Amino acid sequence: MTEAPPREASAARPARRVLVIDDGITMRLFYRSVLEAAGFHVEEATNGVEGYEKALADPFDLLIVDINMPKMDGFTMLRAIRRDRAVLGVPAVTISTEADPADARRALEAGANYYLVKPVAPDLLTEVARLMTGGPA
Amino acid sequence: MVDPARSVQPPPPPPLTDEEYAKFCEFFYRKTGIQFQDNKKYYVERRLVERMTKTGSSCFRDYFTMVRFQVSGEELQSLVNTMTVNETYFFREDYQFVALVEGMLPELVRGRSPRQPLRLWSVPCSSGEEPYSIALSILERWDQADHWDIEIHASDIDSRILAEAQAGVFGARSLSRVPRQYLEKYFVSLGDGSYRICDDLRQSIDFSLVNIVDPVQAKRFRDVDVIFCRNLLIYFDDVGRRETVETLYEILVPGGYVCLGHSESMSRMTSLFVPRKFGDTIVYQKPQEKAP
Amino acid sequence: MALVKANPPGIPAVGDGKPTPDGPASGLPPLIETGPSVEDLLAALDAEESTTRRSAARALATHPEAAMALCDRVEIERSPSVRVVLFTTLIRLQSPEIAARLAGLLRSEDVALRNGAIEALQEMPAAVAPSLRALLADPDSDVRLFAVNILGALCHESAPEWLVEVIASEPHVNVCAAAVDALAEVGRPEAVPALQALRARFPDEPFMTFAIDTAVRRIEGR
Repeated sequence: MTEAPPREASAARPARRVLVIDDGITMRLFYRSVLEAAGFHVEEATNGVEGYEKALADPFDLLIVDINMPKMDGFTMLRAIRRDRAVLGVPAVTISTEADPADARRALEAGANYYLVKPVAPDLLTEVARLMTGGPA
Repeated sequence: MVDPARSVQPPPPPPLTDEEYAKFCEFFYRKTGIQFQDNKKYYVERRLVERMTKTGSSCFRDYFTMVRFQVSGEELQSLVNTMTVNETYFFREDYQFVALVEGMLPELVRGRSPRQPLRLWSVPCSSGEEPYSIALSILERWDQADHWDIEIHASDIDSRILAEAQAGVFGARSLSRVPRQYLEKYFVSLGDGSYRICDDLRQSIDFSLVNIVDPVQAKRFRDVDVIFCRNLLIYFDDVGRRETVETLYEILVPGGYVCLGHSESMSRMTSLFVPRKFGDTIVYQKPQEKAP
Repeated sequence: MALVKANPPGIPAVGDGKPTPDGPASGLPPLIETGPSVEDLLAALDAEESTTRRSAARALATHPEAAMALCDRVEIERSPSVRVVLFTTLIRLQSPEIAARLAGLLRSEDVALRNGAIEALQEMPAAVAPSLRALLADPDSDVRLFAVNILGALCHESAPEWLVEVIASEPHVNVCAAAVDALAEVGRPEAVPALQALRARFPDEPFMTFAIDTAVRRIEGR
């Protein structure tokens, strides 16, 4: 479906692992192409429940979370993750369609560490992902 | 449908491109929760072409449009049937039974009164391999088994298969993963390569004829701690699946678990449950609801 | 032995013949057993216990006359599990009136409630179709976006055509992006010129270019 992501960003350090959680197929593929080009390993989930499941199943360095999703929205997912000892520490960035300050506050209250608004510029996404994961160099 | 009387068969549909395969997998996953890896393309494609030929579709695009917009969902159901292998044997997906005795049961009995029984339900139980595997796992692999009263209930909609489950006679293929010492301890050899499970074990399981879709029948079960409901929900349409999942939720005690088949996920069905990881498997827990 | 055979209250063993009546309810309310009236069920929608409310919501699935009361309840219901059941019942009862009420929830600030409504509406293609035109023309771009989300998952043969109309006239980039996303699955070759035209409207948006390329590839299947 997609190319095998680079396993190693450098010989010294394995690639940082990012889980992209968004119900839009073009959106997921876009984040994947941008982040893989920057050396991240990317996995995808299509809604909040699946994102929660995948975050539990494997360790990630960063979650990129859409807000409006079926089954479980981004806020609800983040609140659930922040209560779960197994995964509560993983950094998360929410990406919303609304440039509403109240929405940004809700995202941070739900447990997001950073907040972006769609459509996200590729450079900004890469920069934020680097900032939140401390890599790849 | 292809008319068998026609002397010239239409040409077989062309193979799928990678983009078509990806598009199909995403749609099928969204509708059923069944996920195919890239290395399954040959398997999936063969079955798709089979369905395309049966429905007289000349290309993937026509076929996909038909499946995608068919209100009855009939063709999607045919696809599910051809894409899934419904076989059962002892200790199938064993990691889930390991998760039961190492993770779920120890957690469920924490702080519980010894007088309160543990209640497990296998639905659909088919020919009985699953409930007997649950029983064997508990007896052989859970060191606290003797401290608790454990009820195992097993239900199926099919009375013939249920009678087989109660008879408890299994062939070599079904028993291939059963350790020799279990065979000696819990089975009686019938001489022809098949074995019958011992009476004690057979009689300790409560078999019942239940259609889980019928809320009145399903509602007779209550306060169940763990439900094994593997490879059943994929056969329902969206609303039927919602309702059945809600029925399972109602039947469970708060904090109780649902175990699904390995290619299934609650994430396509509902947000009612919280995923929990035990060992290598994800199971689904009914939360303790705070707000009334 | 650790294993004990016990029939929980009311579960007949196989071969018992007729089902035994339920014993005293140990958790579930006696509502359904006694065949309660619609009035009883409607009253139970406001009960203290969430179990009772779920049970009533489920039982009302055979009572179309309860539709508006169920819509009223879903708007104020706080318990996520009760909400889920209310939405399932509304899907069962689907009608243009129910769809119109649920469409109103697209304006809710409560994301979970809004998404529950979107999912329910996706399950009622014939009922929601009459509301969709107005939603797609709503002054609020968020409402238009949610309408496109509904359209994208809808089992309705006009959906691809309406999505093409959206990308031809919709001014908001995120609403267009959602329509392109939906077209990647349901679009037909007729949608390709409209997608190419959209590219020219957002030339500086890398995401839009990427999404259009993806959708065109998916539609053409190569």
